[in-house]
Amino acid sequence: MTPADTAVRAGTTQDVAAAVRDAAARHTPLRVVGRGHWLDAGAPVSPATPLALDALSGIVAYTPGDLTLTARAGTTLADIAAVTAEHGQWLALDPFGSDDGTIGATIATASAGPLAHAFGTPRDAALGLEVVTGDGAIVRTGGRVVKNVAGFDLTRLFTGSWGTLGVITEVTVRLRARPEVDETWAVALPDDGAIGAACRAARGAAAAPIALELVDAPLAAALGLGMHPAMLVRLAGAAAAMRAQRDALRPLGAAAPAPEGIWQRLRTAEPLASTVLRLSHRPDRIADTWRAAAGIPSAYRHATPSRGIVRVIVYGDDDIAAATARAAARCTLIAERAPAAVWLAGPTPVPNAPLSARIRAAFDPAGILNPGLAPDAPRSPAWPPTDA
Amino acid sequence: MTRDELADALRAIVGPRGVLSRASELLPLSADGLPTYRLPPTLAVLPSTRQHVIDVVRLLAREGVAFVPRGAGTGLSAGALATGDAVIIGLNRLTRIISIDPVNRLAVVEPGAVNVSLTRAAAAHGLHYAPDPSSQTACTIGGNVAENSGGPHCLKYGVTLNHVVAVTVLLPDGGVITLGDADGETPGYDLLGAFVGSEGCFGIALDVTVRLVPDPQAVRTMLADFMSIEAGARATSAVIASGILPAAIEMMDGPTIRAVEASIYAAGYPADAEAVLLIELDGLEAGIDDEARRVQAMCTEAGARTVRIARDDAERARLWQGRKKAFGAMGRVAPALVVQDAVIPRTRLPDVLRTIHEIAARWNIQVCNVFHAGDGNLHPNIAFDPHDADATDRVHHAMREIMRACVDAGGTITGEHGVGLDKLEYMPLIFSPESLDAQCRLRSAFDPERRANPGKVVPVHACREWLATPAARALA
Repeated sequence: MTPADTAVRAGTTQDVAAAVRDAAARHTPLRVVGRGHWLDAGAPVSPATPLALDALSGIVAYTPGDLTLTARAGTTLADIAAVTAEHGQWLALDPFGSDDGTIGATIATASAGPLAHAFGTPRDAALGLEVVTGDGAIVRTGGRVVKNVAGFDLTRLFTGSWGTLGVITEVTVRLRARPEVDETWAVALPDDGAIGAACRAARGAAAAPIALELVDAPLAAALGLGMHPAMLVRLAGAAAAMRAQRDALRPLGAAAPAPEGIWQRLRTAEPLASTVLRLSHRPDRIADTWRAAAGIPSAYRHATPSRGIVRVIVYGDDDIAAATARAAARCTLIAERAPAAVWLAGPTPVPNAPLSARIRAAFDPAGILNPGLAPDAPRSPAWPPTDA
Repeated sequence: MTRDELADALRAIVGPRGVLSRASELLPLSADGLPTYRLPPTLAVLPSTRQHVIDVVRLLAREGVAFVPRGAGTGLSAGALATGDAVIIGLNRLTRIISIDPVNRLAVVEPGAVNVSLTRAAAAHGLHYAPDPSSQTACTIGGNVAENSGGPHCLKYGVTLNHVVAVTVLLPDGGVITLGDADGETPGYDLLGAFVGSEGCFGIALDVTVRLVPDPQAVRTMLADFMSIEAGARATSAVIASGILPAAIEMMDGPTIRAVEASIYAAGYPADAEAVLLIELDGLEAGIDDEARRVQAMCTEAGARTVRIARDDAERARLWQGRKKAFGAMGRVAPALVVQDAVIPRTRLPDVLRTIHEIAARWNIQVCNVFHAGDGNLHPNIAFDPHDADATDRVHHAMREIMRACVDAGGTITGEHGVGLDKLEYMPLIFSPESLDAQCRLRSAFDPERRANPGKVVPVHACREWLATPAARALA
């Protein structure tokens, strides 16, 4: 019998709680699934029953004047975008992948995209959660207001915990008013060697971009920008301030308007089956991190310089284990999606393993929630290899 | 080990001047910024170095003694008071700003570094530390991390959580761990996010790495005055909904305005107004005047009598002084002030403020509202005479009703001051037993023995798994 045959499709929080309690009693692992975009993220989970949340969807509360929205976990980002756009607002999170992904998965994986440059990551957007912990308890964290320090911050703990501490069933997020003008400029860079200087110039520029992303030549070509590295600068704000912001980009080089829909295309440039690695270090070392990433045979690379992060997209089944090891020796390496070989050997180990294990045991005593997924993934004792 | 033996053992670590054991010298540590609580500690230790802190906590761990980390004692939730025989560990001698990295806009500081001293140190680089509680000239970064402190400018820039990059934590058992990383992302759980705002219950921050923010190119500070709170609240909603994100939108009501104007902090607020909004815009020079005109028009539309834009830095500083010193100015009204803290959805501002006014009238107390309107973060402040038992009793009743009104409006019981002891009784209003128990589970992962700031944040009776332990049964 394949796992799909026994899938549980939850329509309510109570369904989720019942499924979790049942699994805990029988010690059968569950694999929490939204739209199924992250199924390859991590070590293969030994036969686990999928717990599908796609039917647990819909907006629960939205008061535009409060700039907050509460939605069930299976609600897609596209649905949230459609509802908020009617009021000139948006959830300023643009994780890689399509808007067909769910808000629950976005929070659970803490996935962020280029907008994180200005608006932060899911940890900055999440205000409160409803979660079913591994013992079937229904827990509410945070609240529905934009500022809240009541109690210990379980919202941050569950955000990015990959469903290993609890199943997120409902999310309250902070929204923002959409800017009057939102335009993107592409600055062509001659080669990879120009990246450090371009990032320094961007940092000093008297502009306030809401996204600033580097793309390598193959990705630029795929986005219709020509076969050279490029810096994408997304300017936003009141119309009156745009001319000055555009002028401020001049020191970066010649800027041309980017093709329509470029961010959407950037987010969906990677096939769901590709391996994605994330390398990071201090922002001022972005050129080094970019070079470290270049050592990994890849299809595309792109970076958010202000966060010091380079994403590497690898196609096919190239053996990248050794190259990954060399890169990981120079910066932090997180595998967003990876085949088991990379997953087991390459990434930077999870720090504070004993404390993390205590937390995991406290919230999922039976160890049934997404076993094998980060940050629960087993690590090779031989890591890092001595010949790396 | 007896109390005297423990004091001697602590002296052996920090020296004779670092231990306070006489009632007279412990008196200043028996309260924080909230006048309604007084708990004299039996012992306090003031380490001078990081190693002192580590050695002290390891000694207390060996002896099974509870402790309370304490910074400047400016907190407003009775969170830094010692319950039972807990030893206070005062961290205000660890004041060093260890390093500033202007390129990556990071600073590493010791926990006792005063908030504003970091901004002063960063000023030479055109940078500042954004979270700015009203107590910023006294409060410490360690205390800010413990409380996840806010401040007026958090509307645009975010609270302490959004500015802490890494913390070296001394766990209650004496272990030292690093949460977060300035050198890239951190794989695994967001333990840093869990630690910020844990009110001293998860351990002690030995050093804190924070983000610094570039000073804005341009700032415009404006004051709008209204003949009703409702009109001020309407203006706030209009600005928030417009897409303009001011650095701050602060509101003061009539009683606050009059207290400020009668004090040495007089800021030139119109004394007959029922509400003023202090709105600050910042960002790029280009377009800021246009934005200011739009905000001005929105205020006028909502019913503002006048909207005045500060012409220079001196006028701007004066407008802000009235706001930041409003709590001090209320000393004119009565000898003591309870600074309350709650958050409501922004659209509920007018009706909740009306309810607060009704509660105050019913209990015959004076409430002054001075708060972060842009966030919906209320500070209903009650001035009273703590020696008047009847007045004190009425204050307590009114505070409870105000908290309930905020919760009923869909809000929360604290936006930036923390739970401490003061808000413990309100926690079950917003969290179910399961949710409180989940918070207890997290606490136990950091501090299985419950020796770090015991008795705070989560009511003990909510912690099922803790109640099952032999230690808890022994206490029962």
